[in-house]
Amino acid sequence: MRKALITAAAIGLTTVTAVTATGCGAADMTKQSSPYANAAGTKTVTLSVQSWVGARANAAVATYLLEHELGYRVDTVQVDEVPAWDALSQGRVDAIMEDWGHPDQEKRYVTQKKTVTDGGELGVTGHIGWWVPKYFADAHPDVLDWKNLNKYAAQMRGPESGGKGQLLDGSPSYVTNDKALVKNLKLDYQVVFAGSEAAQITQIQQYAKDKKPFLTYWYEPQWLFNEVPMVEVKLPAYTDACAEKGTADPATIDCAYPTTPLKKFLNTEFTKKGGKAARFLKNFTWTKADQNEVAQMIAEDKLPADKAAERWVHKHPEVWKKWLK
Amino acid sequence: MPTVDMNAETVNDLNDLKKPNAVGEAHGMNEAPPVFSVRNLWKVFGPKAERVPGSDLADLSPDELREKTGCTVAVRDVSFDVRPGECFVVMGLSGSGKSTLVRCLTRLIEPTAGTIAIDGEDVRGMDKGALRDLRRHRAAMVFQHFGLLPHRTVLDNVAYGLEIQGVGKAERRAKAAEMVEKVGLAGMEARRPGQLSGGQQQRVGLARALAADPEVLLFDEPFSALDPLIRRDMQEEVVRLNRDEGRTMVFITHDLSEALRVGDRIALMRGGRVVQCGTPEEIVGSPADDYVRDFVRDVPREQVLTVRRAMRPVRSAGEAETGAALNPATTVADAIEAVARTGAPARVVDAGRCLGIVDFKSLLSIVAGLDRMPGRVHSLKKAVA
Amino acid sequence: MSTATTAVPPRAVAPPGRLRTALRRPAARKLLLLGIVTAVLAPLAAARWGSGAWPDALTVDLAGPLGRANDWIIDNRDGHWLFLYFFGHISNAIITSVRGVYLVLLALGWAGVTAGASLLAWRLAGVRAAVTALASFAVCGLLGMWVPTMRTLALMIVAVAASVAVGALLGLAGGLSDRMFRAMRPVLDTMQALPAFAYLLPVVLVFGIGVAPAVLATVVYAAPPMARLTAMGLRGTDQGVLEAVDSLGATGRQRLLTARLPLARRELLLGVNQSIMMALSMAVIASVIGADGLGDRVYQALSTVDVGSALAAGIPIVLLAIVLDRTTAGHRSVGSRSAGLGAPPAVAGGGWAPRRTRTLTTWAVAIAAVVALGRAAGAKSWPDHWTVAIATPVNTAKDWMVDHLYSGIPGIGGTADWAAHYTGWVLDPLRDGLQGLPWWGALALVAALAWMIGTWRTALTATLSLAAIGVLGRWNVAMDTLSQVLAAVAVTLVAGFAIAVVAARSPRVDRLLRPVLDVFQTMPQFVYLIPVVALFGIGRAPAAAAAIVYALPAVVRIVSQGLRQADPAALESARSLGATGGQQLRQVQFPLARAELLLAVNQAVVLVLSVVIIGGLVGGGALGYEVVFGLAQGDLATGLMAGTAIACLGLMLDRVTQPTKPKEG
Repeated sequence: MRKALITAAAIGLTTVTAVTATGCGAADMTKQSSPYANAAGTKTVTLSVQSWVGARANAAVATYLLEHELGYRVDTVQVDEVPAWDALSQGRVDAIMEDWGHPDQEKRYVTQKKTVTDGGELGVTGHIGWWVPKYFADAHPDVLDWKNLNKYAAQMRGPESGGKGQLLDGSPSYVTNDKALVKNLKLDYQVVFAGSEAAQITQIQQYAKDKKPFLTYWYEPQWLFNEVPMVEVKLPAYTDACAEKGTADPATIDCAYPTTPLKKFLNTEFTKKGGKAARFLKNFTWTKADQNEVAQMIAEDKLPADKAAERWVHKHPEVWKKWLK
Repeated sequence: MPTVDMNAETVNDLNDLKKPNAVGEAHGMNEAPPVFSVRNLWKVFGPKAERVPGSDLADLSPDELREKTGCTVAVRDVSFDVRPGECFVVMGLSGSGKSTLVRCLTRLIEPTAGTIAIDGEDVRGMDKGALRDLRRHRAAMVFQHFGLLPHRTVLDNVAYGLEIQGVGKAERRAKAAEMVEKVGLAGMEARRPGQLSGGQQQRVGLARALAADPEVLLFDEPFSALDPLIRRDMQEEVVRLNRDEGRTMVFITHDLSEALRVGDRIALMRGGRVVQCGTPEEIVGSPADDYVRDFVRDVPREQVLTVRRAMRPVRSAGEAETGAALNPATTVADAIEAVARTGAPARVVDAGRCLGIVDFKSLLSIVAGLDRMPGRVHSLKKAVA
Repeated sequence: MSTATTAVPPRAVAPPGRLRTALRRPAARKLLLLGIVTAVLAPLAAARWGSGAWPDALTVDLAGPLGRANDWIIDNRDGHWLFLYFFGHISNAIITSVRGVYLVLLALGWAGVTAGASLLAWRLAGVRAAVTALASFAVCGLLGMWVPTMRTLALMIVAVAASVAVGALLGLAGGLSDRMFRAMRPVLDTMQALPAFAYLLPVVLVFGIGVAPAVLATVVYAAPPMARLTAMGLRGTDQGVLEAVDSLGATGRQRLLTARLPLARRELLLGVNQSIMMALSMAVIASVIGADGLGDRVYQALSTVDVGSALAAGIPIVLLAIVLDRTTAGHRSVGSRSAGLGAPPAVAGGGWAPRRTRTLTTWAVAIAAVVALGRAAGAKSWPDHWTVAIATPVNTAKDWMVDHLYSGIPGIGGTADWAAHYTGWVLDPLRDGLQGLPWWGALALVAALAWMIGTWRTALTATLSLAAIGVLGRWNVAMDTLSQVLAAVAVTLVAGFAIAVVAARSPRVDRLLRPVLDVFQTMPQFVYLIPVVALFGIGRAPAAAAAIVYALPAVVRIVSQGLRQADPAALESARSLGATGGQQLRQVQFPLARAELLLAVNQAVVLVLSVVIIGGLVGGGALGYEVVFGLAQGDLATGLMAGTAIACLGLMLDRVTQPTKPKEG
């Protein structure tokens, strides 16, 4: 008891000392890195990992190479997309390896505050859309045009869709216009959020196992295609006019998602002082096939991320040797 | 009718206990300045209590007062002195205000009005430091429910008061060990209060109070929670302390036999007021009112009252010279024995001077209680005639 | 209104005399009064603003201002003095402390940490706790989770120290000042009833994502039990002892240090224990806002449906919880022993102090030796080749389970069918019913329930909380959440009571159940989510399943304890009158355990709500989804409004189920 109190007091005192040690001066919390950084006597790079597996594949390979080739220690932090920008700006993470396009954040942090620097393209092109399983598309080819979706609404019903067809959406953090699309295209569907990508994948796998029809929001590149082949449903073509309208008021969007070249972003401070690690991350670029290879090993073969990265690195030295320059 | 815990057996040996005190009482009569001097003390509980003392409100009945102001009077205009070396007993039934009164003495409860002086020093005017000093060194209290610290050993409980005073560890432990020994708990130093019986716990409480070597000991119904046999042991302990060490005591009790047993003087309280204050003999022999009379009705008078009360004036010069000589503090019971043995009246002698004579008749009238009922004596006389 | 009408009929047929006696009962009087008030106000309100869902006229749009506030904070975080000179220092201090502790843990190495923890557990709670600690840390290492475990531990140590310090200070203030206590108590009560998720958003708003806000959220979450118990302990001190201490001339400080604090020791220790457990559960949840460590591993594993990896990270959390609980709770029993009978007399006394110093020295030497040995062996971090990969076998097992249980079990159907039935037959009608309830009717209903069980104050708080949800424009969403909570609570209570009755009757069942309950109560909520998704698909059904599994242990424990505590004399007399087991249960045990039963309902509501909210991650929708959405999209306005609505809902549910406690003397 007394000991517990003494311990508490001691740590409280340490905290107070820590406060006083930081002085009476300004303490810019946007410049405070993770307490775990550089702890083991080596330099640390902190990478933001988003919840989808592609992003984990990037991070796994980057981590492996940074640790084994360049002698860094890497921490990965799982943060959702938008908050990751804030963390990147504050220096709590050093790099985002795969960004799907956040114009607002880019404007705020890259253009205005200049706390984040463009890290170049990842080499992978991302695409969001609506997909149905191949077994269903083969049987009903006309489902691939959005105009015929209402015909199949009854077959797509789910427990959460309230009598309408179910359009399965994933994590709330993903970029999505689906509610507006359903409304504006007058579809007899209800957007049902799985809540997380994990939940969505589980659901898709279950449907696939039973060969049930479903309509889902999904994106490329994604390893799940290898396990559950899916075909994209054509939505009204993406146009700049439609995109502009959408920027002004997201509720008015009535066309498909754009195709996005995925980009990397680095903390500005880190680009200046990060040395070899920063250069390496800037150089990091690979293809959709490369990424999927690693992603599949992680998500489907349940390999630990570092083992997956190790296998890929041993197989494809020609790809990563360039990044070390 | 008040129910009084009166037990003839326990009173039997009153004399043995209190005899030396009779001497103490004698010197108590001297005009040594009182230890505690209390004048017109009031304690009123409730909102804006200070308006009650001395005003018309004070004359209301308790119910009316509570109705009107929300206040309750616990101590009402009480005055008394506690003389050095005496054991001053405050007794009354529960709710009579006695416990509040004793707490007012060291301001554990803040009095509402009146003055309290210890050795002539104004207690109510003391600042925090002086008051602490008073509690630490001059007046220590023993409580009905012991008030021991359950997480400390017996030894550390006894040393607690000294610890608070800032006495060094070795010194206070030595002193505490001495006190533990003194109250008869040697060998139990390392136990905790939870492992002791009630009587043992109260011994710890007593030792704790003694450890500070206070000028006055305050007892708040210290033995009420104890078994009768243990209670008697403890009472003897207190009397011994009073007699051997001459410690001044204020002793609160609701038990008349206890009051008579330990008290040099007794203040009887009722409804916050002191109804009567006097020696046990005065209380038993001359009750101030019916309430007190009722209270002391069952007391074996011959064991409390002394020959001083039973004696009659010397009728002839011969009487003053012959017969057994008795100290004025001798109880009637003892006098009866002396008179019965010699078969003749005995003299009451104080410092060589004969104060009066006791004979069969005067002694028996005490036993029969005739002295307190003059009318009845008269009618009886007539009947005999 | 509706309650008034349901309550009247049986009385209407009663003779007038009985009506009068009935009205003399306070509950009836309250209902009558409320009925009259509603009868007057409801038509007016309905005519003015319309019936049905919460009227738009009564909502306030906070999204705009909140969004602007959020933008302002992000833009000014590196420039404004408030951040530079206040929040910045807080954040800095937290990071420095966590870093300091983390570095110490790393420097001790795995050998040093394990040895130190075991010795500490030994000293505080005995040999069994020491063995538990030793085994637990070894398992953490074996699972390959050493570094994340150390990070969580570092964060925990700082957060718990801060919680205990803050809580003790608050508790001290509350314990010593009546006014403080009166002000504090409802706040603390409320804070304990709120779901953990609701605490995340405000700190993210100010501090962004990272360890500092995670620690802060943890402290805010974990300090209230400490504060509350400290205050209770100090207030509960035996007045007689305090008076005695005063009579000896103790100063205020002496009185506090030598009497009040030691006497409140049991509550203080319980407070520390509770703070630790709360901090651990929050530290895991805080991975959503960048807490790193074990929680982050669970979170990452969840995103790849990797139950095996989630379990690998979840097990160390559970072990950590068990070690911390056993170590601190073990101390509790020692405390109670020394306060009562049976303490070995040798423990105290003259030889104590020197011996203590000696043992301390012995330990310091022992630990230093182990550290030195460990470092000499070059093993600072857990050796890689000593790890066991459990992820793969666990996933295989899970896949088998999914294959065989998901659907098509003849006769009883599969879990997917159950989920569909639960959603279609229970949740949907309930939700539609609640959403179809006129808003004033819902308010009146809540007022009636709260007033029946508590005072007019609780009724007012509950009603205002519900109204606040409407004002925030979250009425329908909240009703959705509420329907999920109510349904899950119903299932929890039925199952919990059934299990508890069995456990209370059979000591053997109780013995078997106890360790299971212990483990289940300390499991991080996240870990429940994946298996339920595997079993029930996505949607509200798995969220409910997770909530039920999470809340069940507490209900079982409280109820069985209540039943077992029933006065044996009363039971004996019932038996002597020839009461059957069922009669004893109904007529003696349940009525005597009334307080515990009500507490169980209250706890069920609070716990179910907290998981239903997290259910937003697996398609539970409603308020939980909005919080997740707010965090994920950086749209803190939405998140904060949903968070506030959650808090209001939690407050309302707590008040409706919380019987008035007897006033403290």
